[in-house]
Amino acid sequence: MSKRLAELLILSGYLILAVLLYRSTASYPPSVQGSTAMYVRFLGTALGVLCTLELLLWFKNRGQGETDKLKLTTAPIRFWGLAILLVVYAASLSMLGFYLSSAIFLPIAMLLLGATKPLSIGLTSAGVLFFVYLVFAKLLEVPLPGSTLF
Amino acid sequence: MIVQALQALFTPISLLAVFIGTTSGVIVGGMPGLTATMAVALLIPVTFALEPLTGLLLMGGVYCGAMYGGSIPAILLRTPGTPAAVATALEGYPMTQQGRGGLALKVSVVASFTGGMFSALVLLMIAPVLATFALTFGPPEYFLLAILGLAGIVSMADDENRLVKALISGLIGLILAVVGTDPMSGMLRYTMGLTDLFDGVAFMPALIGMFSISQMLELTGAKSIVTDKTLITKIKKEPLPKGIGKPMALGSVVGTIVGILPGEGATIAAFVSYNIARRRSKNKELFGKGNPEGIAAAEAGNNGCVGGSLVPTLTLGIPGNSVAAALLGGLLVHGLIPGPELFTKYGIMTYAFILSLFVANVIFLILGLFMAPYFARISLTPTALLIPVVCLFSVLGSYAMNNSILDVFIALLCGLAAIILQKTGFSLGALILGLILGPIAETGFAQALIMGHGSYAIFFNRPQAIALWGIILLLLVPPIYQIYKHHHQQKG
Repeated sequence: MSKRLAELLILSGYLILAVLLYRSTASYPPSVQGSTAMYVRFLGTALGVLCTLELLLWFKNRGQGETDKLKLTTAPIRFWGLAILLVVYAASLSMLGFYLSSAIFLPIAMLLLGATKPLSIGLTSAGVLFFVYLVFAKLLEVPLPGSTLF
Repeated sequence: MIVQALQALFTPISLLAVFIGTTSGVIVGGMPGLTATMAVALLIPVTFALEPLTGLLLMGGVYCGAMYGGSIPAILLRTPGTPAAVATALEGYPMTQQGRGGLALKVSVVASFTGGMFSALVLLMIAPVLATFALTFGPPEYFLLAILGLAGIVSMADDENRLVKALISGLIGLILAVVGTDPMSGMLRYTMGLTDLFDGVAFMPALIGMFSISQMLELTGAKSIVTDKTLITKIKKEPLPKGIGKPMALGSVVGTIVGILPGEGATIAAFVSYNIARRRSKNKELFGKGNPEGIAAAEAGNNGCVGGSLVPTLTLGIPGNSVAAALLGGLLVHGLIPGPELFTKYGIMTYAFILSLFVANVIFLILGLFMAPYFARISLTPTALLIPVVCLFSVLGSYAMNNSILDVFIALLCGLAAIILQKTGFSLGALILGLILGPIAETGFAQALIMGHGSYAIFFNRPQAIALWGIILLLLVPPIYQIYKHHHQQKG
């Protein structure tokens, strides 16, 4: 996808959001129609006006940078691999609990990103988890995600 | 009384309490998701077992240390330890990428020290007078204060295209801040039935996603953060850059004033200071690319907030921000009621506490200067090991704020969205500024309109409001003129 097309899609999405936001204030209670509903209407209007302006600028400069690709990363496999791994990690937190899911996530992510030495992978993973246990769980008593399975 | 307070402070136990508090504060502030508020709140039960003065010194040390500590991961990993360090990350991380992370840390600690010392001095000298002035601020002024913060969005752009995109980004931030409970009616808005969204989109997960997770995803293509590793070893020899005195002084004053205003936080202080420094700088073009002036202003601003926020806390019992509110809780559990009695009947303890802030600032200055070269070596860690660890702490930080898995997903979503938005020219700084200032702007706007019976005149007919409009215009005119000039030059 080209950068220009991505810009157009984002701006169109924002424009739809602006319209929906403005219309949604009709369902606000009458008591706030003159206060918070007014504020939200203002946000919707301002977003709509600015998006229209930016779209006009987009059409005005249509010829420029037409071929520029939207390049998110130089290493797509690692980038998307890590993104997917993070989503799986977040989803597994409530099921497996913090320690088990982290103990799986850390080495897999390290291997994905090119770490090769098993000793440094193992020591870093264990060290980080021990640090979290000591500081977050024991010292500061910060609640960590628990497991629903065990 | 000051002499007696000094005697109470310079005992081994008291000094140890300040030292432990400050060191723990730096560590807590340096970890994303652990905030100064959380640390002070967690300390309250601990202080039950201690003498009231020792407990207070511990909490004061944590507050000062955490405010500085937030800048360390912000500079080295683009992961702000506290929300107040976002503005620091904007300049600090590019410096780290250039191999100047150690220098950025040095600037940060010196600026934090300056801001902290200045605000502690203000707290000591003119606390009651300033607290009375802050009380004259009402909803219209709070709304204008939010606008003052948002005015910074304009200075984040250098041409009309960027300006419109920066304004759109700011508006998206303000719109995200609308999600949750209506502050006037209590009605739930745009929550999609998710209980975790009843209090709104928590900005810490959004911030971690936009600044930390997005950066880690971008780093997947690199072997280490720093391209030229030899520069890291030169840290000790590099002197402080010239021209950071003015932004530091400016940040100290702005931070203290913003801190005094009840409800205003260190994040706003840092952003307002950063934006003013950016406008006044002779090296405007270097902002966003690693300008030490930006770090100096932002760090002096957020540490300036420490003393400032304690002014209304100690004199009127109105906390200047959430950390001060937690500290107020600590005062109350020891039977110390804020007000005139705190400066007379309990004067020795109160003044010893205020004086301890100076000691805490000296402690973190020494700690920061001594440790900066070692902290900076973090940027040499191979990304294959660093990225998963930072991602783990980002996930943990997002979760720990509200114990919510949804917040973790918000952080991940924001991380991915941030990369796309940044690549298409939208401003993340403006977006996060909108998200942070949104609740203050909305509540101020709505309450002011109710006060003024629907008339917008309320925003213009009070002296404080007029003064704020003047400052807003002063901030807006120069960048708009610059953009206009730039546009005409391009046409010519």
